[in-house]
Amino acid sequence: MTFLSKSAITCGLILSCASAQQQSDFYTREEIPLPAGEVMELGSIALMPGHKVAVTTRRGDLWICSGAYESDLSKVTWQKFAEGLHEPFGMFWKDGWLYLTQRPEVTRLKDSDGDGRADLFETINSDWGINGNYHEYAFGSDPDKNGDIWAVLCLTGSFTAESPWRGWCVRITPDGQMIPTASGIRSPGGIGFNAEGDVFYTDNQGVWNGSSSLKWLKPGSFQGNPSGNVFYPDAPNMGPRPADPVDKSRILAERKRIPEFVPPAVILPHAKVGHSPTAIVADTTGGKFGPWDKQLYVGEQTKSEVQRVSLEKVNGIYQGAVFHFLSGFQAGIVPMRQADDGTLFVGGTNRGWASSGTKPFTFERVRWNGKTPFEILAMGAKKDGFELTFTEPVDPATAGSPESYSMDAWTYIYQAEYGSPEVDQATPKITSAEVLEGGRKVRLTIEGLVQGHVHHLSAGGVRSAAGGKLWHPEAWYTLNEIPD
Amino acid sequence: MLRTALVAFFSAASLQAQDGGQLFSLYCAACHGADGKGATGGQFPPLAGSDWVHGNAARAVEIVLRGLHGEIHVDGRTFNLEMPPQGAVLADDQIAAILTHVRSSWGNKAEPVKSETVKAIRAAGNDRKVPWTAKELLAIHPLPASEPPIANLTSQIYHGTWKDLPDFSQLEATNVEEEHDGLISVTHADRTDEFGLVWQGDLVAPESGTFVFRLDADDAARVMIDGKTVTEVRGTGPMNGSRAKQGKINLTAGPHKIRIEFVEFFGQESIALAWKGPGLPSWRNLADHPIEAAKPSIPIQPSGERAVVYRNFIADTTPRAIGIGFPGGLNLAYSADHLAPELIWSGYFMDGSRHWVDRGQGNQPPAGENVVKLSGTPALPSEARFRGYKLDPSGNPTFMVQIGDQTLQDAWKPGITGGKPGLVRSVTAGNGKNPLEILISDRLPMKQTGDLEFDLGSEIQLHVEQALVESRDGKSFLKLAPGQTAVLTYRWK
Repeated sequence: MTFLSKSAITCGLILSCASAQQQSDFYTREEIPLPAGEVMELGSIALMPGHKVAVTTRRGDLWICSGAYESDLSKVTWQKFAEGLHEPFGMFWKDGWLYLTQRPEVTRLKDSDGDGRADLFETINSDWGINGNYHEYAFGSDPDKNGDIWAVLCLTGSFTAESPWRGWCVRITPDGQMIPTASGIRSPGGIGFNAEGDVFYTDNQGVWNGSSSLKWLKPGSFQGNPSGNVFYPDAPNMGPRPADPVDKSRILAERKRIPEFVPPAVILPHAKVGHSPTAIVADTTGGKFGPWDKQLYVGEQTKSEVQRVSLEKVNGIYQGAVFHFLSGFQAGIVPMRQADDGTLFVGGTNRGWASSGTKPFTFERVRWNGKTPFEILAMGAKKDGFELTFTEPVDPATAGSPESYSMDAWTYIYQAEYGSPEVDQATPKITSAEVLEGGRKVRLTIEGLVQGHVHHLSAGGVRSAAGGKLWHPEAWYTLNEIPD
Repeated sequence: MLRTALVAFFSAASLQAQDGGQLFSLYCAACHGADGKGATGGQFPPLAGSDWVHGNAARAVEIVLRGLHGEIHVDGRTFNLEMPPQGAVLADDQIAAILTHVRSSWGNKAEPVKSETVKAIRAAGNDRKVPWTAKELLAIHPLPASEPPIANLTSQIYHGTWKDLPDFSQLEATNVEEEHDGLISVTHADRTDEFGLVWQGDLVAPESGTFVFRLDADDAARVMIDGKTVTEVRGTGPMNGSRAKQGKINLTAGPHKIRIEFVEFFGQESIALAWKGPGLPSWRNLADHPIEAAKPSIPIQPSGERAVVYRNFIADTTPRAIGIGFPGGLNLAYSADHLAPELIWSGYFMDGSRHWVDRGQGNQPPAGENVVKLSGTPALPSEARFRGYKLDPSGNPTFMVQIGDQTLQDAWKPGITGGKPGLVRSVTAGNGKNPLEILISDRLPMKQTGDLEFDLGSEIQLHVEQALVESRDGKSFLKLAPGQTAVLTYRWK
């Protein structure tokens, strides 16, 4: 009580007590010590039995960490398990093997003689092409419910498809078959599942990508970049080659022409939200990392952030909102992995691609301390507006006033040029804000929603019932479909 | 309602008056650094003090609009990253605002950039669809012409054979020239081997203080200011940064006598010289060749008695190359595309400084000597599939290949035969139905020289046990019956 009243006095004096919410009030970010003298530019993270954590590096090493879950991180120990891997970006542990997606192949490896080093490196599939271009990266997923590994294959130089299956998502079955699964990929930064088991990847701003985005890898779909479509004749399971998109069009217009085209689920507006999205993690810990159950965390390499995505499916298409979330990481985030106890392991590197975090590489963990920030938990589309769910009850006066919110909307030119300006700006009008469910929800009625546009909401005027400001008042919702 | 309208009004207004500093932090600072010095301690190209953003704004406008690909020299260093084109993202007035900010921040002093300028440059080059290279752009928009860096520069040529700097005062020059561009260059000589050059001129220190000179040369060179040696590169050797030297001297503001001495023995010739100090925030070239910072090698070598694996793009084999460095200086690059050992060499294994720096572009050649290319085409029928490898406790690999219903094992380790170190290869055919024919070489003539001895090309002696070899059409093959193991030893003559 003494403490509370003191804070209240301080707040009264500086008139901005609500802005005091900061990351360390809720989350503890810690650097995990790395093996001395080693260059640990992390590309993937896997959880192993016995609270061991495996990581791969861009230099091609595989190390196993013990103690990464302990409270005293100074006692962490490392063991080098393998070397000479070719830039792996994807790893998981299953039945005594570590499965890797390396640049040239999907591999599984194990230590069969028990000396602590891998000695068996089995190539499961290497049917995609590489030609020596550094940009021909491969990012691989965990196994899906059939045991298949999904790999997204960056275009040659991030522009063209000069090697087989560049610009494609392929599935590798446990018996080593490769199944072409989706076309239209440009330059992925990560791949992962949502809580329902559907597969998503992040694709970076560039040709045919006006902004970076989170995309749904619906089997059979075209993701928007036509460079790799030359391989349709080799993928009879995918049907005929889709129509080529019209240059300098809009995604909404081209979706109507190209039935296979699945639009980006959530656009991560360039520069405003990030420059280079990477790993995707679905929170399936049932609330051990905060109230974001079944939401996605997306890594952001350039800004050294973790962002949060709430998804929904409208008319059979995924869409949703992105929110700023965790920041302050020491290098550009590439891999992430969440443990059952909620711990979020994050790896970073900024070699070749700069980041806000200034260290050349990092391995960190984030843990929730049980306190919940006042945030917009989720944003859902309605026929005539949006419904916001908050993490705690809102103050009915501020949250019920349309003036506490503002909204602007835009889209991007869908074009062969690199990126796009924000275009077709619109200013949807928030006509009413109705507080529901004891202050947990607010129903915004809006005139002038625009299908296909990013709807940027700022809820800076909303206060919690306790008087606090939102930790992150902004959200960017991609309105692919307006519900009936 | 009123609030919403106001917000809209202010957003629209802010779009018209672009804030260059804010746009710079949004779109550029991640790589170029909020302080313009290049992010991550200068691992990305600096804009502060850079010639590239001074003078005619068109050069910088072109880079922002259409991007830049490949090597670029900035502030005396070489970068090889990618500048993504921003022309499709940023409007003319945004680019103008950003570049105006860049050209007037961190000590930069250059005219503001107008939106109309960006518009005109955009329209003029709209047919260019690929990013610039630095070379292309400099041909159109050279870096700002400054006063000749060295005033009253003369060059004197001497003919002679020197492996180090002679006492030029005892020698007679064959020719003296005035060099009005004020930059030293080996092109001032009238030959490419066995000569010396001495340049003299006046160097103006913009302010008083300590100045640093960086010198690199192929072969020897020395820089003297007012008769005092500042730094020198002695003896013969390449100009690749490994022999570059740096020296300091205190100078008062104003002109000083500079003298540069240089000799070329045989082969390549070049000189690079740059200085910086008070009033010169970035390296200023005094030679026509930019100075390269030494690129430290990252040696990859076996540790102790265990072989080391390096999987990356190795020059002169295929992209799915697996390099193995064995103890004792024997090395192998196996192609998982061609299912064949394609390169063997001796000495150092690999240098990681290409793939483990920046984005890791290109192919890295072996670090050692006596590189022999054995083959460059598939060694097995097209249905053969790479199935990985296993390592024995010493890290020696056995590559595994599946051919229809059988598995071929191709094991490698170092060994000694006939008193000489060699690579011992054991190839085992699985229990299939048919005999296998495995390519040994598609280019080196194979000639029998003894009972089990063959010459493979001019450098390799091949010892073959327990199998037949056959040569035809300039290729040689190993014949293996199901279940059979052949042992081949490769050694240098």
